[in-house]
Amino acid sequence: MSISLCVIVNGNEHHLDVAPHHTLLDALREELGLTGTKRGCEVGDCGACTVLLNGKAVNSCLVLAAETEGAEVVTIEGVAGREGLHPLQEAFIREGAVQCGFCTPGMILSALALLRENPRPSDAEVRQALSGNLCRCTGYAKIVQAVLDASDASLVPGFGRPEGLRPSR
Amino acid sequence: MADNQKAVGVSVPRIEAREKVLGRSVYVDDLRREGMIWGKVVRSPHPRARIVHVDVTEARGLPGVVAVLTAADVPGDRYVGPLVKDQPILCSSSVRFEGDAVALVAATAEEVAETARDAVRVEYEILEPVLDPIAAMSPEAPQVQAGGNVASYSKLRRGDVEVGFRAADVIVEDSFSTQMIDHAYLEPEGAVAEVDAEGKVTIWVCSQYPHYDRQEVARVLGVSLARVRVIQTTTGGGFGGKFGSPLVSCYAALLAARTGRPAKVLYTREESLRTTVKRHPYRIHYKVGATRSGKLTAVEARFVGDTGAYLVVGRAVVGKSTSHGAGPYEVPHVKMDGYAVYTNKAPAGAMRGYGVPQVAVAYESLLDELARKLNLDPIEFRLKNVLREGSQTATGQTLLHSVGVAETLERAADARREMTPHLKTGKPYLKRGIGVGVSWHGIGAARSPSQATAYVNLCGDGSATVLCGSVDIGQGSNTLFSQIAAEELGVPLDQISVVTGDTLTTPDCEATTATRVTYLSGNAVRLAAEKAKGTALELAAKHFGCLPEHLILARGKVQVPDAALEISLTDLFKKHAVQQISALGVFSPDCTPLDPETGQGSPHATYGFGTHVALVEVDQETGAVRLVDYAAFNDVGKAINPQAVEGQIEGAVAMGTGYALSEGMIFDRGKILNPSFATYLLLTAADLPPVRVGLVEAPEPTGPYGAKGVGEPSMNPVAAAVINAIYDAVGVRIRELPAVPETVFAALKTRQPLPADR
Repeated sequence: MSISLCVIVNGNEHHLDVAPHHTLLDALREELGLTGTKRGCEVGDCGACTVLLNGKAVNSCLVLAAETEGAEVVTIEGVAGREGLHPLQEAFIREGAVQCGFCTPGMILSALALLRENPRPSDAEVRQALSGNLCRCTGYAKIVQAVLDASDASLVPGFGRPEGLRPSR
Repeated sequence: MADNQKAVGVSVPRIEAREKVLGRSVYVDDLRREGMIWGKVVRSPHPRARIVHVDVTEARGLPGVVAVLTAADVPGDRYVGPLVKDQPILCSSSVRFEGDAVALVAATAEEVAETARDAVRVEYEILEPVLDPIAAMSPEAPQVQAGGNVASYSKLRRGDVEVGFRAADVIVEDSFSTQMIDHAYLEPEGAVAEVDAEGKVTIWVCSQYPHYDRQEVARVLGVSLARVRVIQTTTGGGFGGKFGSPLVSCYAALLAARTGRPAKVLYTREESLRTTVKRHPYRIHYKVGATRSGKLTAVEARFVGDTGAYLVVGRAVVGKSTSHGAGPYEVPHVKMDGYAVYTNKAPAGAMRGYGVPQVAVAYESLLDELARKLNLDPIEFRLKNVLREGSQTATGQTLLHSVGVAETLERAADARREMTPHLKTGKPYLKRGIGVGVSWHGIGAARSPSQATAYVNLCGDGSATVLCGSVDIGQGSNTLFSQIAAEELGVPLDQISVVTGDTLTTPDCEATTATRVTYLSGNAVRLAAEKAKGTALELAAKHFGCLPEHLILARGKVQVPDAALEISLTDLFKKHAVQQISALGVFSPDCTPLDPETGQGSPHATYGFGTHVALVEVDQETGAVRLVDYAAFNDVGKAINPQAVEGQIEGAVAMGTGYALSEGMIFDRGKILNPSFATYLLLTAADLPPVRVGLVEAPEPTGPYGAKGVGEPSMNPVAAAVINAIYDAVGVRIRELPAVPETVFAALKTRQPLPADR
């Protein structure tokens, strides 16, 4: 048995047939080949599979694919725009926020969700917003710094509207 | 790089960062092959049992199942291990820990493989597990391994501790225990294997040592090394855990070889936490003496490392504790006895620090106790004893260069001064304190010979490829290699391509472990690049009729600065019918192995040092401890990429604080109760303050540009600093890690009255 659904991923409409117990993470990785979304624990503890679902950061391993009918999903593959990297991605590179890189996609999406709600967060607010995303390499220091840096960049026009990202419903 | 532009000492972004922020890096779970099957491992639910019968009938009969393998199906050797071949690929007669592998299944879909795994019926005769490492040392204890439970015994004898303790005015003595922790890299272990038409096997695996995986896969399949190719995929963290446990590669290879189809085996997080190698839990007893003037006279210690069911590298881990157990201090009389002991628990292996963080907690705690008894400042007391150039270590090694530990202490004193105004909380139940931890770490494995090898191919346009076997596991070594090659060859960073982690094309450089990559492999890359450049300059010298030392190579051109002449490498190569210049660099550190009876020798060519300062806040109502501020000073010789070095240290502070405060595998009769990140508690961004990092550069003359390494030296002092800060805050000595609220609260209940000043 499978469920047919239509979901908008990174601005593109996809018609999928999914098993009722398959997660959004399964659908993204297995059906759509979007492997930038990582599976680190599959039970919602590590945050490596974070995506934006209708503008909110979620653990895609905890969302059933069937629940996403009509939803808009942004994965790491949809964060950069045609004109280049998103300021958050630039900041992650510049600040040395990337080490092994496995947590990076989820971190960037959690940070993106934060900056859309709160364009100029404090250090503590960034730490709170990222507290669902585990990292074992960096001690979070340079990740937090990158998000703070990108939040300053958020003052430039056009920030927060990368390709594939539409106003949340 | 050209002109005055330098590649070394510059915080260049890591070369693969763009791929990673775009989500394009390919980790092992991202690989798909046509016709791929999924493997799952059937594991023992019992820590110790005899296997009576394995019934695979039902599993084999499930639709979609393509293979069910037991030990009898392993074509070659059935045991693996980096030091001793004691770990069965699949157990046939007995299981030695909860999670030991019994059978291997594969199916066309992952879910079918899970069903088949659960359909394999194993009948066990359950036996009483050996769990306490001290009890395990008794001759009457049931034997985990046939040779007895004491897996190794390492000794250090320097001077005469009896004489040393007689010369002491103050002696402190105490026992400590540290817990088992997991590496907890965000990427779980996995491998994909494929067999080609000629029967050659290719494995893609996240690994710290693909050449070792190749050795074990070849043995297990019973084929030659040349018929196995191991390719390291982008690796999502290692910290020691993706070295020395080649099982996942072997499983994928066995399934691919058996079925002829590409096979993937990926561990779940629970499987990773429950069954892969861990940090050794320790039982430690220390006795330390000092004179009234504050000079250390003797250190005596005995420690037992619980190495679990299999040795992996337990002997070497405990050996590192023995050689490092007196700390980075001058101590005339030292006696160390270290044991690695088998128990029926997940095998302990290599983990960042390799036996040093455990003993650092004990000796640094006791140094604080001594300082208090002597009425000396903890930093001043350490400065009276710390190693300096010309000092002898406890192994009798004279350190001639690059001993920056005193400077790290001096800078720590400044940081402590800056933190002092923040000791007040304004709330009577919240107490703050500052603690210091000092440690060291020998660079590279403590044995001889150890070697790193690299090739540099210099092309006619001045660009170059570097081939080296040392793999990048997230720490940034590929970027470091490109910086070194760019520096030597005088080209921008983007003119260097680095190839690592493919056994077909790169030389075996040994593992990415032991803080050895910057020093050993960095040197090999530098030497290869220097040699390639030397060959180019010799060609040019003939062309110009001058001496090669009067020439410089930059941006693909050889220049005669004095005469304002130049020739491009393209023209030079054409003239001499040279297509490219290939050069080999080999580096072997100068060290002598430890004497097995006395532990004396020069086991490491150089050492990294660090002093860390922690400011913690203890909630006396709950026992909860929070890190408020932290400053880390590490002597790295030379920071080839300062930003990457800072990143290593910041990561170590988080990992070490988790070791001190929250992490630990919890056991109930040999079974792990917390195999998830909801119950095994890593610190999050919200648990940590910003960390101040100070780099000390006492150059190591034999290192590349003076560099030593930082991965482990940055980890070793963290827990010690945090534990000492807890004492400073509330006057309780935590002797059992982790300092979870229950432990701290219990200690607060029994504490002696505090000194009146705080």
